[in-house]
Amino acid sequence: MQDITDFFSFSDPNVRYVVLGNILLSASAAMVGAFILLQKKALVGDAVSHAVLPGVCAAFLFSGSKNTALMLVGAFATGWLALITIDYIAAKSKIKKDAAIGLVLSVFFGAGMVMMTYIQQSGNAAQSGLDHFIFGNAATLVGTDLLVFSVLAAVLLLVVGIFFKAFALVAFDRPYAEALGYPVRRLDLLLTSLTVLAVVTGITAVGVVLMAAMLVTPAAAARYWTDNIRRMVGISVAFGVFAGFAGAYISYVAPAMPTGPWMVVVSSAIAFFSFFFAPRKGIVPRLYTQHKNRQVITEENTLKMFYHLGERNSHFDGQRSLEELASTREVNKTLLKTALRRLVAKGLLVVRANQWALTAAGYQKAMRVVRLHRLWELYLTKYMDIASDHVHDDAETIEHILTPELERELEHQLGYPDKDPHDTKIPKT
Amino acid sequence: MIIHAQTPVLEVHDLTVTYARKPVLWGVDFTLPAGCIAGIVGPNGAGKSTLLKSIMGLIPVSSGYVRLFDHPLDEVRHRVSYVPQRESVDWDFPVSVLDVVLMGRYGKVGLFRNTGARDRAIAQDCLDKVGMAAFAKRQISQLSGGQQQRVFLARALAQEADLYLMDEPFAGVDAATEQAIIKLLREMAAAKKTIVVVHHDLQSVRAYFDWLVLLNMHLVAAGPTEQVFTEEMMQQAYGGRLSLLSQVSDVMEKRAFPSRED
Repeated sequence: MQDITDFFSFSDPNVRYVVLGNILLSASAAMVGAFILLQKKALVGDAVSHAVLPGVCAAFLFSGSKNTALMLVGAFATGWLALITIDYIAAKSKIKKDAAIGLVLSVFFGAGMVMMTYIQQSGNAAQSGLDHFIFGNAATLVGTDLLVFSVLAAVLLLVVGIFFKAFALVAFDRPYAEALGYPVRRLDLLLTSLTVLAVVTGITAVGVVLMAAMLVTPAAAARYWTDNIRRMVGISVAFGVFAGFAGAYISYVAPAMPTGPWMVVVSSAIAFFSFFFAPRKGIVPRLYTQHKNRQVITEENTLKMFYHLGERNSHFDGQRSLEELASTREVNKTLLKTALRRLVAKGLLVVRANQWALTAAGYQKAMRVVRLHRLWELYLTKYMDIASDHVHDDAETIEHILTPELERELEHQLGYPDKDPHDTKIPKT
Repeated sequence: MIIHAQTPVLEVHDLTVTYARKPVLWGVDFTLPAGCIAGIVGPNGAGKSTLLKSIMGLIPVSSGYVRLFDHPLDEVRHRVSYVPQRESVDWDFPVSVLDVVLMGRYGKVGLFRNTGARDRAIAQDCLDKVGMAAFAKRQISQLSGGQQQRVFLARALAQEADLYLMDEPFAGVDAATEQAIIKLLREMAAAKKTIVVVHHDLQSVRAYFDWLVLLNMHLVAAGPTEQVFTEEMMQQAYGGRLSLLSQVSDVMEKRAFPSRED
């Protein structure tokens, strides 16, 4: 409890630096990441974040100290070089883009690791902590870092704000943007630079290996919650901020815990949650819809049993036992029982001493399903020239989804018929 | 056979286009008059879409030039509108129908400014013209093929251009949409707009187009439909007499040979 109050009072300057730094870097990454995702360049983001390592090491070798600004410059240079190399290889050789990305990622990262090993064995005292750039260490953030971060984040926000519509246009329809006279190549270059900038902002806290996750996961999660690109970018930034904040908090409460990996874990958790539970697009809501549909189908099929039995002896409100119902069509008795129970609860059936009967509302509903079934059979034979003994299975499905408007249209097109293709009466309301 | 237009809106002069050194268009040369609906017709792989893209400067030309309204493209870009093939974009993109149509205004507002209320009004009006006014707020992934094509058309209309280049606007659309589109194109042509359409279906050529460009890697014929759309010309465009041409193309690609000596 003491931890929570300490953390949220922000009285410790270290806490302030870490929290603010985390939020700035993850928000910048999430914002740029949204456009990377929409332009389908997520892998490129991964390659860039790995490719900044040799730049960081080169800056150290050059200056002999851990100068943050200089390291950012070095990281920017090699990150950029990696992107240009990818494009060059893809354009000028037989190697395809995916292979070029893999190649550049591993070669640059490998070169970075070689340089780092060399530095570590050189015995330079200033090198301790340089390996933080691989997995990141937010705890080492200080006031000057924060200043650099704030400037970078402000630049990113401003540039994305100005070019928002151009980036969206290029991501949606590149040839059209070109035809309008938009400088597509220069816009690509700009987005590329922003990507490198966002990665560079993040490496001190998150590290080169995990930075790609901070670029792509918040945006991928945000895509599940909206179909509006502005809102998507906003939600992506919000997820990024939350992940940054949560990462800082977890590493504060449990000091042995690294901040960067926890940020990635939190944003992955958000992505997983979205993947499963986002309304409409998530897996669980989709399964629920399917489940509901199956329920509707069993219920309507059960009501039809009553109607068909009623047609046999023209006595629609008769009491039916479970056996009698099950004799009309092949059915799982347990499923039938639960369907009957639900229909009673909905007031479409009444039950007395294990005998069920249609209520007035139930009769209407049963009749409508049968009617739609027969109308659709007639439509299939009349307009689609399907033989009358082949139409039943199709109508079994369609009867459950026809809306009242479609029903009226169907009836109108068929000329208000009385009989279906099997010469059975089509019931009328 | 080439019949040239007096005071042409579009002039394509000896255009040769190569993909990775393989020529796909050879010395194409024709002109179009103002206020016509022109069809670009030819078999698969004839280079119809390539021709449209090279007119719009989307792919580099090896030799020859294109002039629009007697100017190079960059000087008159705001008077030209391009409708790409419907399949060329990802229709699951997170934007609404109105957002897509508003893109048609992006050329006018420029790189830095945002679209305003007036642009919105124009976009809404264009949606109305293609019969999609009720769909303005709909997410584009919910549209049918015909509706997607109408949205693309509305976006082109929002550019308020004088020359429209359309890549297969009738591909994969329902009959009602096809009729609605051709009616709209006729109204535009009556208002002295020029429309160029890449087209597949030979049945409707005579009914739809008053000018015809017959293409099969080279220009077979160009001129008013009634003079170009003849048995003999169609035989030339569709009869496979050109296998030699594509064999030469293949050799040039293999030996990485330039399409012009200089």
